[in-house]
Amino acid sequence: MHGSHDAEGADSAFVFEGNWKDFARIAFPNLLLTIVTLGIYRFWATARERRYLWSRTKFVDEHLEWAGTGMELFLGFVMVFVLFGVPYFGLTFVAQALIARGYEAIGAGLGFVALLSIFYLGGVARFRALRYRLSRSRWRGIRGGSDHGGFVFGLSYMWKNLVGWIPLGLLVPWSMTSLWNERWSKMSFGPYQFEADADSGNVFARFLLFYLAPFVMFIGMLIMGGMGMLAGYGLGGEDGMAIGGIVGLIGIVLFFYLGLGLIAVAFYAKFYREVVGSTRWHDLHFSFEASTMDWVKLLVVDALLVVLTFGIGFIFLSYRHWKFFMTHLEAGGEILLDELTQSETKTAKHGEGLLDAFDMGAI
Amino acid sequence: MEDAFQVAAEWYDGTNAVRHSGELSWDGRGGFSLAASTSHIEFDASDLRFGETRPGRILYRRESMPDFRLILPEDIPPGLAAQLPAKSDYGAWIDRLGLGKAAAIFAVASAAAVALFMTAPDWLGPRIPASWERNIGDAMVGDFGGRICHTPAGDAALAKLLAKVDPAEEKVRAGVANMDMINAVALPGGQVLLFDGLVQQADSPEELAGVLGHEVGHVRERHVMTALLRQFGLSILLAGADSGTTNSIFGLASMGYSRDAEREADEYARARMAASNISPLGAAGFFERMAKQHGDTEDAPALLGWLASHPSSGERAKAYRNAAKKGANYPPVLTDAEFAALKSMCREDPDVEEFDFF
Repeated sequence: MHGSHDAEGADSAFVFEGNWKDFARIAFPNLLLTIVTLGIYRFWATARERRYLWSRTKFVDEHLEWAGTGMELFLGFVMVFVLFGVPYFGLTFVAQALIARGYEAIGAGLGFVALLSIFYLGGVARFRALRYRLSRSRWRGIRGGSDHGGFVFGLSYMWKNLVGWIPLGLLVPWSMTSLWNERWSKMSFGPYQFEADADSGNVFARFLLFYLAPFVMFIGMLIMGGMGMLAGYGLGGEDGMAIGGIVGLIGIVLFFYLGLGLIAVAFYAKFYREVVGSTRWHDLHFSFEASTMDWVKLLVVDALLVVLTFGIGFIFLSYRHWKFFMTHLEAGGEILLDELTQSETKTAKHGEGLLDAFDMGAI
Repeated sequence: MEDAFQVAAEWYDGTNAVRHSGELSWDGRGGFSLAASTSHIEFDASDLRFGETRPGRILYRRESMPDFRLILPEDIPPGLAAQLPAKSDYGAWIDRLGLGKAAAIFAVASAAAVALFMTAPDWLGPRIPASWERNIGDAMVGDFGGRICHTPAGDAALAKLLAKVDPAEEKVRAGVANMDMINAVALPGGQVLLFDGLVQQADSPEELAGVLGHEVGHVRERHVMTALLRQFGLSILLAGADSGTTNSIFGLASMGYSRDAEREADEYARARMAASNISPLGAAGFFERMAKQHGDTEDAPALLGWLASHPSSGERAKAYRNAAKKGANYPPVLTDAEFAALKSMCREDPDVEEFDFF
């Protein structure tokens, strides 16, 4: 079956075929085993979940495959604990001992170094988590990866975040898009590099909502409070006015939290459309079509699912998020299958899986 | 080749993304062959590994070629199926045992591990050699960076007081810390600190003897190591994420002892005071004052850390008062001059540093 694929031919290049009942048959035993092993099974549980989610996701005409194992996640965790957790513990211990002996400045300095190293490693971990996921994801036997270890990215992560926050956070959209571009440009799948050139200008307007919010909310507060009091007065005179005022106050608090949350969601929705839409792989371009409303629905149902099941619904969140991601992810362009050769990036042999224990949301 | 040993197959050779569609056949001698117009591959059956199941399909890998993928339909002729590696679901151990049995075994092992972890401080603490504890204590706090008050007369008075409540050959290290708090602590490494605030409010040297005896009791009964292990265990339980604060001096100072440990330390103090012929009424008076000042509540404010984790002041005052021998005439434990030297030692030490890191 030689030839090429036109990813635009089908309805959507990415199709998710899983269903929650099948997933439940994986998630519930996982939960049980994780509890009875005091959390140690977590790594194998993650691998099982991903194997399911990946294998039920079709890209064009073939399913994805998750080739990672629980053991390598576990070993990654152990290595991080030994190589970084223990030195960090030692460093804070020495810092405390120095402070106790009266060397406050040196002690505080060491404590600061410990915090700074956590900041740095957080950046490295973000890079390596994405690299790990790409290197364990296969399509038609081909995998992804990166030739970089993420140690340079860790430095970028530090300075770009700092620069982003210094001018009252105004450059945060720039630091976020710039870090996205830097990270994805160092990744590859098969023989081809990813490219990303997201423009922070396109998400900046949404970001400004965070600054407008206090003004909008202040006015909202006045209106809500006033209306509450008026309504209360209309219903029951002076006493009613007080009760109305309290109801108004509750409204203000809700308005504040929901308002700020809504702005954050609106920003992230726009951010994801921009960064995914600016990411390319060889002749393939991607897009992400989730609107703010889609995100709100996702998060509200997430919250309801967890609350109404007394927390057990938590095990379905990874399923819901993957499905959300795959449903809204689109790709267009052409893939030449003959040219799509195996990735030559380094794999596990060279210490991959070291920092992958910090396997947080990779994308 | 018979149909029973043949099945339609798809495979990727791992060098590129081209899919090969053909037939998998068993050669009857421990080998498989894959044949398509585009590809012909032969390999040992022992090389094949189970990968994963997909709807209607099973995916296999090869040990010798990590990138190779073979996809077979789910319904394979039994003769051929017998030659293929078994499916794996949870991972090797659990597949072998079955989910229920494995979960039960894990649960028992975990419960045992938790029990061991929870009780470890109580049985492990007293078994850790005192010299190790001393080293740990030295590493953690050292000499407190010159925040311990020293004057020749004050040191002598403290040494005299200590000798009465700590009869051991090798004495604990006691000091008066330059901190205005009604508190006293026993630290890892056999170090006992009275805070200057406590010394200042004392009406008699017998009060200080009671408190000092209590803290020495914690050291001699090895409560410190037990508490330290418990603290350490807690910080591990909190994922070590918070280790910065949990192993701080603050953590040490507020390190709690159990009720039983407090009672043991009180009993130790009363026994030493009786042996040295020190009146327990001073200590009783101290606890009565504390009970009056702060109310006799179980959960005293956090500032009174030393008092908070202790049995209620009223109850303790009674215990000390009952320990007094009827009609006995106790000699004063320190002379007025010695007591005064203790009280003034922080004020008169020119080199002492402030306790400003709390």
